[in-house]
Amino acid sequence: MATPVQAVLLCVAGAALGIVGNRFTPRPAPLGVRVVPTADQPGAICEDPRASIARISVEAAKPLCVACTAVFVDARSAQEYAAGHVTGALHLAPGQPVEPLLAGLRAAPTVIVYDRDRQCASANAVATDLLARGLRDVRVLTGAWPDWLAQGGPGESGACALCTERKP
Amino acid sequence: MNRPLLVALRLALGALFLWAALTKLPDMNAFAQDVANYRVLPAGLVPWVAAAVVGIEMVAGLALLIGLAVKPAAVTATGLLSVFVVFLVQALLRGIDLRCGCFGGDEPASWWTVARDLAMLAAALVVSTFSGSSRLRAALQE
Repeated sequence: MATPVQAVLLCVAGAALGIVGNRFTPRPAPLGVRVVPTADQPGAICEDPRASIARISVEAAKPLCVACTAVFVDARSAQEYAAGHVTGALHLAPGQPVEPLLAGLRAAPTVIVYDRDRQCASANAVATDLLARGLRDVRVLTGAWPDWLAQGGPGESGACALCTERKP
Repeated sequence: MNRPLLVALRLALGALFLWAALTKLPDMNAFAQDVANYRVLPAGLVPWVAAAVVGIEMVAGLALLIGLAVKPAAVTATGLLSVFVVFLVQALLRGIDLRCGCFGGDEPASWWTVARDLAMLAAALVVSTFSGSSRLRAALQE
């Protein structure tokens, strides 16, 4: 029998074993149930407890914003930032040069990155970059900008004054 | 002389696949969630694929370890690892922050994970190409 055919048979046998054996495991995969990404589950916006980058809730982040003990980084587009952002937040979208902001970010005890959507993809990308550059306490804001607004977090509008040296 | 190298690669690959499957068994539900977080498969298909992947890893790993149907098992491992690499790379490029789900636990998906899978993929390719024949010896003796 040809190797590819044998490989297919092996896959079929393995798949059958896995699907049948699944029910005998301590916490089986829920066959027949739709499993959506963690970030898309109700009430779990950006709140993946298994995410590699630390999270911080809007509730916990608001006092840090008011007391200026954390620097907020807006990972959305320049247009979205100008329309409204966390008070004092810097604008840093994925792919934009970090260097002009790095000294200020390094001086902050905590950096909180936020995004526009439930997936937090942009915030994660920026946070990953900052962590790779040696920043120690970088967190992603759960709930992102929509939850910040909904929970009455302080905000302002306009372009980023500290980012003016950079092209958007 | 180089036959031991091929055997060592086969055994290492088999052990890794079997280990990968065994570490997922205690919490298949979490592994299904890991698969969903890659945002590639339809939600309804995710748990079925998760269960199937673990079974295939187990069968392929066992076959490589005991030396039964080595070539088909290595071809299967090659295919699986290729899919894993594609899943990982697309997630990293899209900025999705997730656990890789490779060996259970909480290991985050990273470029290191991709490099490790590529190394395993290279081993699987060697085993699938040269096992069951004297081609490795012939190639190395040239």
